[in-house]
Parts: sequence; C-alpha cells; structure tokens
Amino acid sequence: MIPILSWRNIWRSPTRSAVVITAVALGIWAAIALSGFMTGIMKSYVRSAIENSVGHLQIHAPEFTEEYELKYYLPDVQKVAQELESLPQIAAYSTRTVTNGMASSSKGARGVMVKGVEPQQEAAMSAIDDKLTEGEFFPEMRGNGVLIGAELADKLNLKVRSKLVLTFQDLNREITAAAFRVVGIFDTGNAPFDGGTVFVERADLNRLLSPQGDTAAVQGALAHEVAVLLKDVQQVETTEESLQDALPGLDVKTYREVSPDLELYESQIQNVSMIYLVVIMLALVFGIINTMLMAVLERIKELGMLMAIGMNKAKVFTMILLEAVLLGLVSAPIGLLLGYLTIWYVGENGIDLSAYSAGLADYGIAQVIYFEIDPQVYWQMAVGVFVTSVLAAIYPALKAIRLKPVDALQHV
Amino acid sequence: MAVIKTKGVEKTYNPDKIPVRALKGVDLEIAEGEFTAIVGPSGSGKTTLLNIIGGLDRPTGGYVEVGGEDISQMSDNELIDFRKEHIGFVFQAYNLIPVLTARENVEFVMLLQNRSKAERDARVKELLHAVGLEDKLDKRPSELSGGQQQRVAVARALAPKPTFILADEPTANLDSASTANLLDIMARLNREEHITFVFSTHDQRVIDRARRVVTLVDGVIDKDERRE
Repeated sequence: MIPILSWRNIWRSPTRSAVVITAVALGIWAAIALSGFMTGIMKSYVRSAIENSVGHLQIHAPEFTEEYELKYYLPDVQKVAQELESLPQIAAYSTRTVTNGMASSSKGARGVMVKGVEPQQEAAMSAIDDKLTEGEFFPEMRGNGVLIGAELADKLNLKVRSKLVLTFQDLNREITAAAFRVVGIFDTGNAPFDGGTVFVERADLNRLLSPQGDTAAVQGALAHEVAVLLKDVQQVETTEESLQDALPGLDVKTYREVSPDLELYESQIQNVSMIYLVVIMLALVFGIINTMLMAVLERIKELGMLMAIGMNKAKVFTMILLEAVLLGLVSAPIGLLLGYLTIWYVGENGIDLSAYSAGLADYGIAQVIYFEIDPQVYWQMAVGVFVTSVLAAIYPALKAIRLKPVDALQHV
Repeated sequence: MAVIKTKGVEKTYNPDKIPVRALKGVDLEIAEGEFTAIVGPSGSGKTTLLNIIGGLDRPTGGYVEVGGEDISQMSDNELIDFRKEHIGFVFQAYNLIPVLTARENVEFVMLLQNRSKAERDARVKELLHAVGLEDKLDKRPSELSGGQQQRVAVARALAPKPTFILADEPTANLDSASTANLLDIMARLNREEHITFVFSTHDQRVIDRARRVVTLVDGVIDKDERRE
C-alpha cells in the first residue's frame, strides 16, 4: 500500500511533479549530451592523433624515445617486421626514419619533424593519404618529393610543385641540406601537426642521413620507428605485452605512452565530465528537496492523522523517500531516452563546429564532432538519479517524522 | 470492566514559562459499550483529555489505562503501535487520505496491522455496508459528501477492531440530515456490537443521543450524568 500511496501522492500536484520531472529529465539529458560531446571531442582528438601518425603502438630503440638522436636507430628492422607480420591482430605498420630539421622556402623557415616513410606502408598505416587536399601521395618515379601540412604551406607560402629545402644533421653530425619538391598538401585539422610535420620517402631521407662511405646495408636498415595499427583498439595492451616479449631490448609503447598528452586528455575529459555530472546532480538535489519539502509542509495535518491512526515513523519516512525515488524513476527513463537519442543523432550526423574551427584546430580537434559515449554513463546516470533522489528526500522525510501527531492534527 | 481509566490526570502546558493548567486531576472510568459525550465550554480541557486518552499526548501528572494497560509512560513508537491496535479515531475534518478510495481508506489501518487480504476484503465490505456506503467503495474522498466522508471515517476507525472509538467533534462540519444519519449508525454499532464511543462535542444533537455526558469545566469534571 505504501508504494501505491507514494505513487498517488506525487500526482496530487501534477504541475509541480511535472516541473520537477522535467528538471530532472533535462538534467540527465544535459549530463549525457555533455558527456557525449566531450567524449566525442576526446575520441576525435585521440583518433586523429592515432590516424595522423602515432598509430596504436610504436616500437623504438629505448634510447631514441629519451633523446631523439639520429644514432639511436632500430638495430634490426627486419626482425621487427617479421614479428609484426606474424601477429594476426596487426592491421598495418609503417617503418620510419625520423629526424628533426628545418624547412625553408623563400618566405621563411620553420622547425619540422621529418618522417621518412615507405609510401605504401604509410598509406596503409595512417590516414595522411586520405587527408591530402592537393597533390598526390608520393607519385612514383619522383625523387625528393615531400608532403607538407596545410599550415606549413600557408606559413611558408608553398604550393604543390614548390621547392622546399630541408636542413638537418646526418649520422656524422654534419649539417646537410637538400631540395625537395612539394608533391602533396595534407590537412588533418590539427594545426600543430600540420605545421610541424613533413613526410618524405624513407629511401630519400636515408640517403641524405648516411653520407658517402656508409654501406648500402646501413641505408636500407636505417629506421627509428615502427608505428603499428591494430585491427581492434581494445587489443592495445595485450599486443604491447606480446610484442615487448618478442622484441627484448626494444621499447614497445602504446599511443598513450608515446603521446602522454593523449592520456592526459582522456583522463581530463573523464574528470571534467564527472565534475559536470556532480554539479548537475547537486542542482537536482536542491530541486527535489524543494519539491518534497513543499509536499510535506502542505500535508502536515494528513501526516499527523497517519501517525495518529498507527502509521509508524519508519513507514512515514519510507513513504516520503519513495515519493522522491518515484519522481526520479519517472524522470530517469525520459532523460536517458532523450540523452540516448541525442547521442545517436549527433553520433550519426555530427555537430558542426566550423565557426570555431580555427581555435579547435589549434588544439588538434576536428571541426565536426560526433557524439560518443561510454554506455556505462547511462548506468552512472541512473544510479546517480536514484542516489540523488534518496539524498534529497532525507531532510523532508526527517521533517515529516519529527511532527507530533497532536500538534500536526491542529495544523491549519 | 473499564476500558478507559484515568486517575488524577493533569496536563500543564508551558510548565517552565507561563504554565497553563489544562487538566487539574481528572478521574474518569469508561466501561465497555458506553456511548459517552465529553462536553464543556471552549478551554475546559476536553480536547486535551481526549488527546490523552487517545494516546496522542501524555499527561504531566496521573496515569491513563486503556484496556488495562498504562499508556501514560509509553514512548512515541509504542504509542503509535498502541493506537493502531486499540483506538479508532474519527476527526472533525474527516481526515481521510485524499488519494485513496473509500475502500482503501478503510483497508489502510488493517494493512498497517498486516491482516490477510481475505480478512481485509471481508471487513471492508462489512464496514462500508454498515455505514451504508457499499455503493461508494471506489470513490475518492473528493467524490463524496461531507456526511459520506465522515461515515467512511467511522468505518476506518472500526476497521482495526479497536478497544474504543474516539470522536473529536464528529458532527461539527455536517448538516442536520448527515448528523442524524451518522448518529444513527454509531448508536446502532454501539447497541448491536457493543462498540465503545467517546465523543468530545458542542453539538446538542450529539449530547441528546449520548447515554453518558461528562462535563468538564476549567480542567476538572464538573458533572457526570448517565441516562438510560
């Protein structure tokens, strides 16, 4: 009977209940949409970093990741390649020679990271080939071609077929420079990356890095980095372990370790989402307290009567608590459904933030955000609303059971 | 046998500030099956006395026995349980639960008593029949007249099979026809089923039907007349 009583009690003031139900449902919706938006941004950032060149895993000589010196190349690229070929969960990998240098044009010079890649491998591993806005991805029969980002093209006033001079140290620590021809311009939407990374063919870069006297073997074997793309991102940790076991003496790292900013970003977004969640829930607590307090104060006489005829304090307390929980139970599915539909719709169609794209691109965030959500958020919200309702009902329920029937019955 | 017995019952409000002595030593015994009206001018202490014998308030002196049990020292929770089992209340303003139907209002106390469904159903029908509302089982209080609501309240008060029924000005909000009807029902229940009724009232119509009239003046019993 108490659940029935509580249920009917909340419909005594349909308008008031509707207002609080709407508020709670909107709160849930807002929290889910916000979480979807932030997760969408985070995933877009992480995905774009993974696609742009980081990959899911990277293999280096241990010293290279600390000092980024040219001399710390991988001792046996062939062995790494063989190992990767043998693992079924590997979708693609790209062997790279990496150095820092200076890119100069007639307009100016900028520091860049030069990545020497095998075009076919790189096309399979990263999405750079898909992100070309002009030119081609290393057309054949063309020595010293370079792919540059849109940002760098803009800063150095370069176009396809423009000449670009790359200057860097070779393995003997001698400064060397070579002219390259821009064959393609990519735009990943990540301004720092587009302004600071250029891709050349590994054979071209290795030739320049290994001056006369070095053997062809060194030239062919020179590589600093193997970036690996997995078929399923969930397998990152397990694959990291098995590769690390198979390649002792090398450093196998996940994208989170390679780019600590990605991990920071992931955890920060989760923290911020949680803070928003708590703030929204806090606001709801006060909304529900207000409603329940009104509900108690306007039926003091009735509560006195219930206690007079033998309803004990535990039952009165339960009745009030249940009223709040039922309000939450009505609101939660509405809010969850609205949230789910929003995530689904914006997840399919995206939300266009191009009006703010300049700012976003500076942070490496795409212009169109597709909402994504960890399904756990729905459970968290449901539990959150339940806990919120219970917490919010405690004070009004205490107020109810503190009434003395003899006084409450006299209440006008 | 006395179902209600008070001995030297006193009640002083605000004992620490400006004390108001509402009851100044009331000795009263009400036997099973009596139909008693407690009357007196405003401020005479009749509501206070009713609250004390109804276990809603505690005396500051003396003691109260209901069904042979001293209720004057019980805790709040013990009193709630005691009222649930032993006392049926009829209030001036009906005080039905507005969101429950007539049937559910009557059933409610029996649910608190954990009575079986079969017993509850049978008793609800029996009681609402006894108060002439068998056709209003599924009406909510807002769909009933004042007189009908008060009859539901009487049925509710009877539902737990209490030791006695305490009615505080039960006819104050009723018209003559409803009052007569209600009094007929209560008198019949008293006569045929020996249910003990105690009223506080100003209403001459009620006083006329009472078989015992206890008059309180300034917190003491001034007159106690029995009629047969």
